[in-house]
Amino acid sequence: MIWSIAWKNIWRSKVRSLVVIIAVTIGIFGAVMLIGIMQGWINQRVSDALNNEVSHIQIHHPEFLLNEEMKFTIPGYQTLIDSIENTTGIVAFSPRVKIFALAQTDWASSGLVLKGIDPESEKQVSKIHENLIEGGYFDDESVLPSMVIGSKAAENLKLLNYEVTTDKLQKPEISELGEETLKKLQSLEGTRYRSEKDFRIALISVLSPHNYKESGDMLVRYFSFYRLRAKVTVTAQKITGELVYLTFRVKGIYKTNNTAFDGLTAFVRSDVLKSETGLGADDYHEIAILTESKNLGVTLAKDLGEKFSQYEIMSWKELSPDLALYSDYMKVFDLMYVGIFLLALSFGIINTMLMAVLERVKELGMLMAIGMNKVKVFVMIMLESVFLTLTGAVVGMIVSGLVLSYFSRVGINLGMWAEGLEAIGYSAIIYPYISFDVYIGVILLVILTGILSSLWPARKALKLNPAEALRTE
Amino acid sequence: MSVIDIKNVVKIYNDSEVKVHAVNGISLTIDEGEFTAIVGPSGSGKTTLLNMLGGLDHPTAGEIYVGGTNIGTLKGSKLIDFRLHNIGFVFQSYNLIPVLTAKENVEFIMQMQKVPSKIREARTRELLTQVGLGDRLDSRPAKLSGGQQQRVAVARALASKPKYILADEPTANLDSKSTENLLDIMEKLNREEKITFIFSTHDARVMKKARRVITVEDGKVIRDERKTN
Repeated sequence: MIWSIAWKNIWRSKVRSLVVIIAVTIGIFGAVMLIGIMQGWINQRVSDALNNEVSHIQIHHPEFLLNEEMKFTIPGYQTLIDSIENTTGIVAFSPRVKIFALAQTDWASSGLVLKGIDPESEKQVSKIHENLIEGGYFDDESVLPSMVIGSKAAENLKLLNYEVTTDKLQKPEISELGEETLKKLQSLEGTRYRSEKDFRIALISVLSPHNYKESGDMLVRYFSFYRLRAKVTVTAQKITGELVYLTFRVKGIYKTNNTAFDGLTAFVRSDVLKSETGLGADDYHEIAILTESKNLGVTLAKDLGEKFSQYEIMSWKELSPDLALYSDYMKVFDLMYVGIFLLALSFGIINTMLMAVLERVKELGMLMAIGMNKVKVFVMIMLESVFLTLTGAVVGMIVSGLVLSYFSRVGINLGMWAEGLEAIGYSAIIYPYISFDVYIGVILLVILTGILSSLWPARKALKLNPAEALRTE
Repeated sequence: MSVIDIKNVVKIYNDSEVKVHAVNGISLTIDEGEFTAIVGPSGSGKTTLLNMLGGLDHPTAGEIYVGGTNIGTLKGSKLIDFRLHNIGFVFQSYNLIPVLTAKENVEFIMQMQKVPSKIREARTRELLTQVGLGDRLDSRPAKLSGGQQQRVAVARALASKPKYILADEPTANLDSKSTENLLDIMEKLNREEKITFIFSTHDARVMKKARRVITVEDGKVIRDERKTN
């Protein structure tokens, strides 16, 4: 019956209890959403980086990463590969040739990291082929060898063009702009703009300020197109030190959530790169390895490093320390947010429970007089506090669970900050995520806060003298 | 057979360095089945005496024996447990638990005594019927009149099967009809079931019903009258 009395007691002052319950609900909702967004964001960054950039393990010549010089290829490649293939926990690997080159088109030039890959092996390790926004992935080789290039690198090489065409003007997607605007846009037909800036200037010249403000961004996206099949000439160095000029045809454009990576990296077939630069058939600069899990990657990198001390074998945590930091300290940050929230919550509960005790001095005196022992009085007050917080916690967890589950499917679009976020490798669409253990942990901590917050009010109750308490009005 | 033996009990309060002798050497014996009123003016020491009989306060000197146990020596949980099993309380302002129904208020004390639920339920029903509230089992205190609430309090005091019931001014907040009704019920329980009642009161109607009236003044018993009816 103590449980029943405690539950009924919290509804004596409905408004006061509801205020606490709503405060707990909002607090839980806020904490869970904040943790969910942060976890989702970090997980996405780590996942993107592992899938597109670093993989779980990389093997290099011990001196390669110092200056990334072409001559430092992995010695004894075939023996090493035989061992990797027989290592449990390794899912796939992709050997890469990696050289720095100057890329040129007819309109611009830019520095690039050329990654020479075997497209099929690379598919097993990275997800570049899934991030294609235009064109294909080495599936239809023409006379010139293919190149899959990052969207930002393509933009730097002025392969992202803008052109108003009759065909596009007649499509229903922009019919809502109105005849007058479409007519104005018609005046731009026939001119190809090689930079966004130039196209925007042209749009401003024909559209009213209001129209440009309303539709400018949409029109820039709508009339943009990548110049697939354009030629890109690459100037690189041969193993002998002489310069070599290679021409590729743009086969596909990929886009990850990391603009810096997209602006610097292009993929070509390794055999083309090797034959043109004078590297041998077994000469590779990097072996990217995908393991069964990112944690296994760390363990295996250590094991392989001990077994093959002649190579530099690094896990993703060593290759990208910022990812390791986010990944390892995420729970510390979670605890900090939850800690601050629980501290604020505890003050609210102590205040409410103190009021509840001081209002019921006479009743508590009566209960002690008729034979309710101190343990039961303590448990009753503690249960009231726990019920109060738990009710708010359950409502908060249900609400935040539903909202989190919705946004984990559709994502939270931070499109207006996309450029800035993608510049530092973060996606502009966040898919919040909270792990089950954190979810349960938050509930348990809220209950613990309820218990701890009841200690002071309960102590007040226990110190009451029944005879004196019964005399109070 | 005596239920309570009070031997030369003294209670001194040290109020602002002035010693107040609230009870000053009282010796009494209360027998089983008594229907006794302790009367006296305000500040005479009757409430202090009642608190000591209820184990809510300890005597400064002297002993109070209840069924052979000196309750002045009991402390903490032993004293609380003693109260639970030996003493029933009826308070001036009813003091029911407002969130519980009449039935639950009566049952609560038996639950603390760990009485099995079937016995508990049957006894609750029986007691509330005895005090004339058999049809108000599920009413909360706020839905009952003052007289009805005090009758629930009497049923609650009886529920633990105590050796005696202490009633501190039980009629002070009741109108005359409710007072008469309550006193009739208590007298009936006293006569038929030999339940010992000790009242502290100013109420002439209670004094009239009581078969023994102990008058206290300045912390001393100045008169102890027993009626023969």
